[in-house]
Amino acid sequence: MATLRTVADDPVSYALNWKAAHSRPVIGSFPMNFPSEIVHAVGALPVIIQESKTPITEGRSMLAEFYCGYTRSVADQASIGELDVFDGFVVADHCVQLLGAVDAIRYSRPEKPVHFAQFTSAMDDAWTKPRVDGRISDLKTEIETVVRARLTDADLARSIKAFNENRRLLRHFYDLRRSGRARITASEMQLLVKSSMVMDIHEHTAVLLELLDRIVVRDEAPDDLVRLHLSGHFCHAPKPEILDVIEESGGLVVDDDLYTGFRYISTDVPEDGDPLAALSTWYLERNINAPCPTRVTNKVDWDTYLLESLEASRSVGVVVLMAKFCEPHMLYYPELRKALEAHGVQSLLIETEHEGIPIETLRTKMETFVERIRRHPSPLPA
Amino acid sequence: MTLADQNQDKTNRLKSTRLGGKMTADYWDNIFTAKERGKHVVWYNGAAMNPLFQAAGLEWCHGEAFAARLAAQHLEEPAQAAGAEYGYIGELCSYARTHLGCAVLTQQTISERQTGVVGVVDQQELAAKLPAPDFFVNGYAGCSTGQQWDAMTYRVFDRKLPIFNVSLPMLWGNKPDAGYMRGEEWEEVSTYAEGQLRELVSFLEHQTGRPFDWDLLSESMSYIKRASELRLEAMQLCTLAPTPATYWDWVASIAPINFLPGNQALVDYFAGVKAEIQQRIVDGISGVANERYRVYFDGIMNWNKLGFLTRKFAEYDVAVVAGRYTHESFWQEPQLIDIDNPLRGMAQHYLLCPLNHGLRNLQELLLRRLDEYSIDGIAFHSTRTCRAMTNPQSMLAKSAERERGVKSFFFEGDVADASFYNDELFDSRLEAMLEAIDVQRMKTLA
Ligand code: SF4
Ligand code: SF4
Repeated sequence: MATLRTVADDPVSYALNWKAAHSRPVIGSFPMNFPSEIVHAVGALPVIIQESKTPITEGRSMLAEFYCGYTRSVADQASIGELDVFDGFVVADHCVQLLGAVDAIRYSRPEKPVHFAQFTSAMDDAWTKPRVDGRISDLKTEIETVVRARLTDADLARSIKAFNENRRLLRHFYDLRRSGRARITASEMQLLVKSSMVMDIHEHTAVLLELLDRIVVRDEAPDDLVRLHLSGHFCHAPKPEILDVIEESGGLVVDDDLYTGFRYISTDVPEDGDPLAALSTWYLERNINAPCPTRVTNKVDWDTYLLESLEASRSVGVVVLMAKFCEPHMLYYPELRKALEAHGVQSLLIETEHEGIPIETLRTKMETFVERIRRHPSPLPA
Repeated sequence: MTLADQNQDKTNRLKSTRLGGKMTADYWDNIFTAKERGKHVVWYNGAAMNPLFQAAGLEWCHGEAFAARLAAQHLEEPAQAAGAEYGYIGELCSYARTHLGCAVLTQQTISERQTGVVGVVDQQELAAKLPAPDFFVNGYAGCSTGQQWDAMTYRVFDRKLPIFNVSLPMLWGNKPDAGYMRGEEWEEVSTYAEGQLRELVSFLEHQTGRPFDWDLLSESMSYIKRASELRLEAMQLCTLAPTPATYWDWVASIAPINFLPGNQALVDYFAGVKAEIQQRIVDGISGVANERYRVYFDGIMNWNKLGFLTRKFAEYDVAVVAGRYTHESFWQEPQLIDIDNPLRGMAQHYLLCPLNHGLRNLQELLLRRLDEYSIDGIAFHSTRTCRAMTNPQSMLAKSAERERGVKSFFFEGDVADASFYNDELFDSRLEAMLEAIDVQRMKTLA
């Protein structure tokens, strides 16, 4: 865990060390749908850029205060030179705030290649897959140019396997937690997922295997704890202290649909057929497995998915973690609330900010919430 | 710089735009009775897809336009309250929030009729008067919120109504040859967007059960093209100093060019606007008495504060002469429209929405306008809940200062939520910019 913590807390230092050790480029990417396999396959290190813990200084003059903490932090990191370790940046998603942050990188670091492979976000149309295929092909060319290496199908297939293996292992940790047989706290789980976003994937898998060997698996879960599902929080990882308070209040987090959580590892890339085409298949399937509010689709719904997850994990309450100013989340939230209310599931909305939130107030709110569930247990969604 | 005289109205608005106001009011009145007339209604957001709806024999309701109208008439509150009660947080795009509030009210009205509980929603409230849609079309360029907003409207109406999405890729500038309306990327996305419009036509045929009237599309686009040419010719006349008409007159002309039907009345309207401006030039009449500063407006308008801001800038002898929203949108490149085969030119306009460009294109466009209109300063409306508009603003401000020495100031506000406007900040920041311009002028003279 200590290794993972060091990497997750400071991905930039990890990237610097990796670069020095391997003399290979490092490519920065952004949430939430970038296929890191493609960077790995050309021998570079793919790193999903994380929100930095440091207060925002220079970035203030790039983006307004009413942007989500993640995008303000990215703009800030770019302007103070913290992202200089990266040899190029790639982005596949088109959240309007994210694009502002990425433009801030282009503005403050004009010499760095910044490529936007816009993945069509309307998922139901016949022309979406061919279009995404095209963007992935452009992405391949761009990454080959920046890294100065050719991408072969065989290398990509190997990388896909490596990432799938890693995701499968992480999902195994999720299964253990859901069953209640292993106690993995929400902040530990976040560490596992977050480190996989920034660390060399083989190295990460090796650490996961070691951890799996050491984890204590019990026969039964303690039943005096209120089983909770954490929902939402895109792009950046919620602060561990928030996760800790949630569990210190008598709640046991058994599942989540956070981006730095189950959403990230929900889907494997198909291992048969053309590996480049498999990446766009992954993109489309991922939204079916864990419907994302930044995508537009009529076929699946986040609210229905959430209710099904609650049933699977036998969660009786939902803590909605919302990054302040996150538009896709603010837009979808009423639908979630409506669905949960209709099924008698109690939920609590917590808005988070880059600058932090008053922890003691949160503690009181959480304790009240857990107490309320204890007194009026909600029916498990059927 | 002396403090502005608060009592005197120094504005001189065009008279001809009043006709546009009447045409727009008639248009909405007509929409409200669509159902009684047995018409199909489409709700849409983003790009001006109305010529396609017109040719398909539909009635169309543009989400932002209706939200802006409510805000301009200070009638947005019932819709926003309904939205808030439904769960939309106040930091969410106020257009989306207002329109989703309308959707909630409209949906409530439908279910009340079905359950016989009529009267809970006050039928007189404008916000509740929108006819329920038969289907949705979304074609939002540049802003992810715009696209997701309809995905949510679809859910407010219980996921029952059909929806069509036109995906408009951003003009980001990946390729070295990319620029405003040029380069491989531009041609490629034009073809992609045009293909989707063709699919949209099939969707419309399916929804209406009628073959699409291509001749009617050509005809309405011929009027729109002409109206657009007249609008641009008239705008060009305002490069003169003092300007005969201001940005606020162009704001008044947004509704006509953005969503009124393509017909002779539209052409006549813009011909009238141009004629009035020409006459003003002959008569030596300016849009602002004693124009001393020429300012560019960046941001979507604060619709609640239109009249207020119009007067306010004028009090400081500022003529706001051009803006990103008015001058970079709404059929602004009419030469792209081939009347006989209009889909590609339409698709290209949808892509040219000023929210759909990466920073590089926006810098190019801004510098061009600064030169064309001899701009002294830029007012950046820090449009609180519209990140699409605010994304590049601070970088544009820096570019304008660096490349042309043009000063700017930021003021807070929002498209359809008056609570974000801060009057003290406005005054002090505008004054600071004007002082900086004065100092710069003195230096140039010295
Ligand atoms: S999806 Fe939300 S958290 Fe992510 S960049 Fe957009 S606003 Fe920020
Ligand atoms: S945020 Fe701005 S561009 Fe986006 S939907 Fe709202 S008003 Fe339109």
